[in-house]
Amino acid sequence: MNKLLVTTTVAAALTLATGAALAAATVGQPAPAFTASDTSGKTVSLADFKGKHVVLEWVNPGCPYVVKHYGSANMQGTQKEATAKGVVWLTVNSTATEHGDYKAPAALAQWMQSQKAAPTATLMDADGKVGRAYGARTTPHMYIVNPSGVLVYAGGIDNKPSSNPADVATATNHVKVALNEALAGKPVTQASTRPYGCSVKYATGA
Amino acid sequence: MHAFSPFTAVLCAALCAAPWLAQAAPAAVVSTPQVRAELVAHAPEGVTAGKPLWLGLKIEHAPHWHTYWKNPGDSGLPTTLQWTLPAGFAAADIEWPTPGRLPLGPLMNFGYEGTLLLPVVITVPAGFAGAMLDVRLRADWLVCKDVCIPEGGDFDLQVPAQAATAGHSALFASARAAMPQPAPDARATATVEGQHLVVRVAGLPAAWQGKTLGFLPETPGVIQNAAVPQTQWIDGSWTARVPLDPQRSESPTAMPAVLTSEGQTAGLQVQAAVTTAWPAAAAAPAALPSLGDAQVLTPPPASLGLALALVFALAGGLLLNLMPCVFPVLSLKVLSFASKADQRRDLLAGGLAYTAGVVLSFVALAALLLALRAGGEQLGWGFQLQSPAVVATLAALFTLIGLNLAGVFEFGSVLPSSWAAARARHPMVDSFLTGVLAVAVASPCTAPFMGASLGAAVALPTAQALAVFAALGLGMALPYLAASAWPALARLLPRPGVWMAHFKTLMAFPMFATVVWLVWVLGVQVGVDGVAALLGLLVALAFAAWALGSPTLGPRARGGFSAVAVLLMVAALVWAVPTLRHDAVAQGVGGSSNVSEDAWQPWSAERVAQAQAAGQTVFVDFTAAWCVSCQFNKRTTLATAEVKAAFESQRVLLLRADWTRRDAAISAELSRLGRSGVPVYAVYTPGAAGPQLLSEILSVSEVLEALRGPGAPN
Repeated sequence: MNKLLVTTTVAAALTLATGAALAAATVGQPAPAFTASDTSGKTVSLADFKGKHVVLEWVNPGCPYVVKHYGSANMQGTQKEATAKGVVWLTVNSTATEHGDYKAPAALAQWMQSQKAAPTATLMDADGKVGRAYGARTTPHMYIVNPSGVLVYAGGIDNKPSSNPADVATATNHVKVALNEALAGKPVTQASTRPYGCSVKYATGA
Repeated sequence: MHAFSPFTAVLCAALCAAPWLAQAAPAAVVSTPQVRAELVAHAPEGVTAGKPLWLGLKIEHAPHWHTYWKNPGDSGLPTTLQWTLPAGFAAADIEWPTPGRLPLGPLMNFGYEGTLLLPVVITVPAGFAGAMLDVRLRADWLVCKDVCIPEGGDFDLQVPAQAATAGHSALFASARAAMPQPAPDARATATVEGQHLVVRVAGLPAAWQGKTLGFLPETPGVIQNAAVPQTQWIDGSWTARVPLDPQRSESPTAMPAVLTSEGQTAGLQVQAAVTTAWPAAAAAPAALPSLGDAQVLTPPPASLGLALALVFALAGGLLLNLMPCVFPVLSLKVLSFASKADQRRDLLAGGLAYTAGVVLSFVALAALLLALRAGGEQLGWGFQLQSPAVVATLAALFTLIGLNLAGVFEFGSVLPSSWAAARARHPMVDSFLTGVLAVAVASPCTAPFMGASLGAAVALPTAQALAVFAALGLGMALPYLAASAWPALARLLPRPGVWMAHFKTLMAFPMFATVVWLVWVLGVQVGVDGVAALLGLLVALAFAAWALGSPTLGPRARGGFSAVAVLLMVAALVWAVPTLRHDAVAQGVGGSSNVSEDAWQPWSAERVAQAQAAGQTVFVDFTAAWCVSCQFNKRTTLATAEVKAAFESQRVLLLRADWTRRDAAISAELSRLGRSGVPVYAVYTPGAAGPQLLSEILSVSEVLEALRGPGAPN
């Protein structure tokens, strides 16, 4: 009975059933282009910022991990440090409209203002197109695009995956480190790290 | 039953955003709107050493809420348990039941819904005589539905020691039934092929053959969790092509995973060694030149695959022969070869006996180490020499060997004549004991690769860990075995002659040098009083050896001197023993001898964290007085002008972690780095998340390169 027994199971159908898989923004490859509206309705494209470093930050004010980094002023501090060096910072909210965490543009703008947040723009991505293109999984989830449009960092805000704001003081802020390396023209040492936080609340069936 | 609206959840997500602040009085149950968590025990035969004792956190989730597995998948965090138990009790890791896949839009998580028990095996110390076992537990979990809430609680439980606690037997039984089962015949490998990880598993149980299997990796950050792998069965072996995460953050050398099959409550544990190299993460063009260096300097991961660990262990064992603390014993063996070069069969038998002695000693030491670890002792490799009594005993042993070689006394006349005859009649026993002695001396010298092998061995299941140590022993015995199998090698030695007597006397000096080293180690451990006591003891011992064993003494003189010698020995022991106790530590002596140069400061994890936060490069030297490789590196590479200048110009914070005596914090840090012995050299450059570990025989260029590092200060 040494016959060749081949049972092949290709379950592509299942992949479709679980919804469109995340597209693959890859570190070292060109970052996916996108256009989205900011909270004031203005259209913003990644292509507008060619020649500059761009940080993308996934946000959801309803997520305790986002609250950790805004409540401790860690995220705002990182934003200010970056924009002061001429870096463009785009905060993206991919929460679907039907989700309880969804905030309308004005409400999101107000929340950002109340947190004294300092991004270049806050983008609405309720259909999750930008999030899926980048493979954003968690809030927060951070990306850095270099002046030639190449993705040079993807991952977490820091190396302490917890919801305890006290951990911010002792954590290594991956974004600050990567950004400083990129700005100095050096390779990013840790170009991929594990993001942590709540899942991005994507629209189902999109 | 658990009806509540999404609004409650959202409200709570905002209001309960600081649950770690909530410090309710500890009880056995913590209830939130999302979970009811209870600390439960299973002690069907009471709390007694050797009897089963399980504790567990029972989590009942409200419908549609879930908590996470050890690999939470695309988001989420695993539940953590921090136990507070009476001294001597030890809690093992959580025995995670087989998790479910929890799809969420395009994301995939691994976790649990419904009723979950996270069981933990507790080791009861021998001689526990309390009436009650008091257990405290701090548990933190992230519970999610469409929103996520970090929750936690402090739990408190008393388990009666004399009565059976079995109210939750069914729960523990079902948790055990859901635990991934080992698959003893399964052989798993993983190869990186383009953008896929190809996992091949042969030898799966019959009930699993031909089924559609799921693949749940225990290591996060490697594969696309949401993707369904292409799988197929060929000739009874299962193959899965699993898409890699394009933002992969880990490059493990082994992929422990759980296979699942519909209709099976418990998954199967497989340990797939990754047999191909991981492609360097694609990076911006500017990254390429120095990224190469970064790859070279990347430390060996803590979990080496078994095969790799065995190879490293074998190589490490071979190199052990070259270590300074093995060499004197090797010299002894050279003597025995020269005297037997014409007896081919005896030689081979002796070689095999020696090999058996070495291998069995390593295995015995490893078994002891593993047993102690299981007992929760914070010990690592080299721990023998952390005990002053052991150091003193070794010093006495080497003094005796030295005196014997120098001709002060003959072993034949010291040992009962039947022993001497046994040694002569059974050269194999003699060889075996030589092997045992070689190991006793070599164990603290962790040669290159040994550290990683040991780290891997500690993480491996017991049987595999023992195999690693056996390989280490085999490697060490190989040169001797080879020389005994091919006597041509042994015949390269000079013919026996008068020179042998001279050579034997000459060999006494390395022995005495070893004694000097051991005395110094003891000095670092217990201070100058202990050294004086030990030296006194050694003098008394030398006198006793001469009185009892000198071939030139007449019977009457021998009797008189022997009586004096016995008195002297007793006096020396009375003096020495109290000063050699571990508690009688002379503070300051140890510290100053190892952290003598101003540039070096004592290590602490906080100092490393502070310096990193301040953007300062940190160099940590994990060392011990009894570790010869450590001392060698300290006096050579680390003392060169080049290295010192580099330290100074880059304002590197130099920290020394002195493991000469037992130190729980250092033991814990070593195991976190995947090592269980010293030397370990760790360089923390700003920007790098983890330290770079340098090799155990340091070179100047290696240190300079590491400092230049991938994340040099900007």
